Amino acid sequence: MKHDMKRLAVAGLGSALLAVAAPSQAQELKIGLASEATSIDPHFHNVGPNNALRKHIFEGLISNDENQKNIPELALSWKPISDTDWEFKLRPNVKFSNGMAFTARDVIYTLCRVPTVENSPSSFTVFTRGINAVETPDPQTVIFKMAAPSPLLPNNLATLGILSSELNGAQNVSYDPKGCKDMGTPPKSADFNDPAKAIGTGPYKLANYTRGQQVVLERNPGYWGTKPAWDRVVFRPVPNQGARVAGLLAGDVDIIETPPIQDFDRIKASGAQIVQGISNRIIYLHMDQFQGDGYKTPGIKGTDKNPFLDKRVREAVSKAINRPAIVERIMGGVAVAAGELLPTPLFGTSPDMKADTFNPDQAKKLLAEAGYPNGFEVTLGTPNDRYINDEKIAQAVAQMLSRVGIKVNVDAMTASTFFTRRNKYEFSLYLAGWGADSGEMANPLVALVATMNTQTGMGHTNRGRYSNPELDKLIVEAQATVDDAKREAILRRASKLAMSDYPLIPLHFEVTPWAVRKGLSYKPRIDQYTLATEVSPGT
Amino acid sequence: MSDIAPATDLAPEAARAAPPAPLDRGESLLRRHAATFLRSPSAVVGLVVLVLAVLGSLAAPWIAPQNPYDLTQLDIMDNMLAPGERLAGGTVAYLGTDNQGRDMLSAILYGLRISLGVAAAATIIASIVGASVGVLAAYVGGRVESFVMRVVDLQLSFPAILVALVLLAVFGRGIDKVILALVVVKWAYYARTVRGSALVEKRREYIEAARCLALPRWRVVFRHLLPNCLPPLIVVATVQVANAIALESTLSFLGVGVPVTEPSLGMLIATGYQYLLSGKYWISTFPGVALVVVIVAINLVGDRLRDVLNPRLSK
Repeated sequence: MKHDMKRLAVAGLGSALLAVAAPSQAQELKIGLASEATSIDPHFHNVGPNNALRKHIFEGLISNDENQKNIPELALSWKPISDTDWEFKLRPNVKFSNGMAFTARDVIYTLCRVPTVENSPSSFTVFTRGINAVETPDPQTVIFKMAAPSPLLPNNLATLGILSSELNGAQNVSYDPKGCKDMGTPPKSADFNDPAKAIGTGPYKLANYTRGQQVVLERNPGYWGTKPAWDRVVFRPVPNQGARVAGLLAGDVDIIETPPIQDFDRIKASGAQIVQGISNRIIYLHMDQFQGDGYKTPGIKGTDKNPFLDKRVREAVSKAINRPAIVERIMGGVAVAAGELLPTPLFGTSPDMKADTFNPDQAKKLLAEAGYPNGFEVTLGTPNDRYINDEKIAQAVAQMLSRVGIKVNVDAMTASTFFTRRNKYEFSLYLAGWGADSGEMANPLVALVATMNTQTGMGHTNRGRYSNPELDKLIVEAQATVDDAKREAILRRASKLAMSDYPLIPLHFEVTPWAVRKGLSYKPRIDQYTLATEVSPGT
Repeated sequence: MSDIAPATDLAPEAARAAPPAPLDRGESLLRRHAATFLRSPSAVVGLVVLVLAVLGSLAAPWIAPQNPYDLTQLDIMDNMLAPGERLAGGTVAYLGTDNQGRDMLSAILYGLRISLGVAAAATIIASIVGASVGVLAAYVGGRVESFVMRVVDLQLSFPAILVALVLLAVFGRGIDKVILALVVVKWAYYARTVRGSALVEKRREYIEAARCLALPRWRVVFRHLLPNCLPPLIVVATVQVANAIALESTLSFLGVGVPVTEPSLGMLIATGYQYLLSGKYWISTFPGVALVVVIVAINLVGDRLRDVLNPRLSK
């Protein structure tokens, strides 16, 4: 009897300990981010960290699975009903985290609000263009009438987080491509820092945002979908790689983005695990190819002309770069050399588009033919905290270009400074990355090599200002082709045409690693997002 | 140590104290100071190390196995070699290589060159500017003096690193910009030091004599007053060289100093810092050791100089 009592007590104590320990583990998830979101506003900046955070709070009509396939989110189904029109059926009985109902009106409001965002560094308006009219026969149906055939409408809508029209005083909003009516005062980007304004339908809601410190999310109790595993999620920006790893090993955070390759062994030895998968992010060099009257590209010395206007020079740059060496020595093998703008087997890629071969002798010959036997001098701009090993890659590129006679000065800076300066065209040569969030070839072609046109949104991140009318025609044609097989064939042709002219120099595709502590698992995603909803307890 | 200490405690004392014992026949002041200096073994060691460091950095282009700033001499395939391994060209990397394939020994020698050069240039310029401002303020007196000294006070109330960071954020990277930033944050120390001793010196008889001869003002200030304020200035300048090296390294470590393809010691340490916990100790450790050794050596020399030039302490 006595013994039994003791045993019972011990068992009771044990289960009490477990009861205390288990919830504290299961409730809060702490994530160490490599890069912080620049705003809570879902429509402010089309960039990875913002989009990943957005998906927790503001859902879209459509979501993407880990391989970037469209899956239903706030829309249950969608289909084209004519050449130019699409019908979306919305999910019924969905409420925003403040209790307001989600209806077709909110879809209209979101489309109306996107163009009102001020000072967007990379705008979402490219995804809302071309919508002529939006009809809502009933609160659960939305019909989009497009100006032209738009096969990518579902992909485009997947990028937009839905806002509540009621919360923003726009219950009677009506869509007009030239400016919506009755939309009240659209919120400013900074308004979203207030948890009472950052209202979406997502599995989480904003609890606290302290720039540079943390973003705290709490579970949305009224969420329509699967209840997320975590009550509370804390995102902490830890830009320093070493500090991120130390934080994981010390138990300060549960999962970290992009652990440095050189620390993989140490992380594994601690019991944590590394998960990795190829991403849709291309790391590339862009060259200023603007041809304005009297325009002089900055940062070039040793010649009065802009050498990058000559295709032979661009080809020489490509041939001078030893991509396997970058992949092997800088990226530790955790990257894939790139021959076009998306990795196979994503939509529109061709298996025969291999990375350009390293041939310094031919590069020198091409430079001599182009009239630069002694090369020239150029400044290479690069961020130093945005992409995996960005500054080191830039230095390696500088080394390789120097060997064929192009003297390169590396100007490395923090990402926010870099993008501001790049958007002012302060670099003749810069290193950047592009994640094709739609996962198909039209996206990087439109963004990076189509002729820049602020009206149509073509070439919106083509800060090298490359222009090729023939290519533009193919891209436009692809965008108007609803048949998938035909569209893919056109995109393949467009990609090959583009790459043969060296509008930019593809370097490699990032392979994204995550490190997660023992007892958790994460499914690697092509879009590189770190989503708390995808972190599950148990391996 | 406090940045301001030598300026405040030393300058007036040095000047106020009784003049040192008269020189013996055939004994020069310099020789006497040298003899006093050499009586401290630690200062001698410091001096030897310092001289070696200066010689090593000056001779870097001839003795370094590689020019780490010439990108054509680097090969990415040589990166992360452990100390003692061979580069593709056959040279032994005695201290290993960094993540770009730079030979660490060469990088340290060239890095020392930048660190010492930047510190020396900044110190010389800042001491000239500071000493001129200080001595003029003391001599002219009145409103000019209070104005100048309030500016100095204001300057000294900001942490040097903060001011330098702001300046470099505005100017951008580059060795010239780092020197400029260091001059801006350092001149006030010299101004205050020199003004302190000039205030005392200007009441001395020789200044009165010079004035009575109706010598031009600039001549009184720069030929008579300033040279007699130099001993404390020399001491402060020596210590401030070490300080400037540390500050330059801090700025480069934070990534706002020199260009990434021309790393100074601070930047080498920053590069290696990412690998420190991955077993690649050599990238950070060796430049770090070099930096510490040089700074300690300069401080030893500076401390001894202070003792030598401070008459109150001489027996």
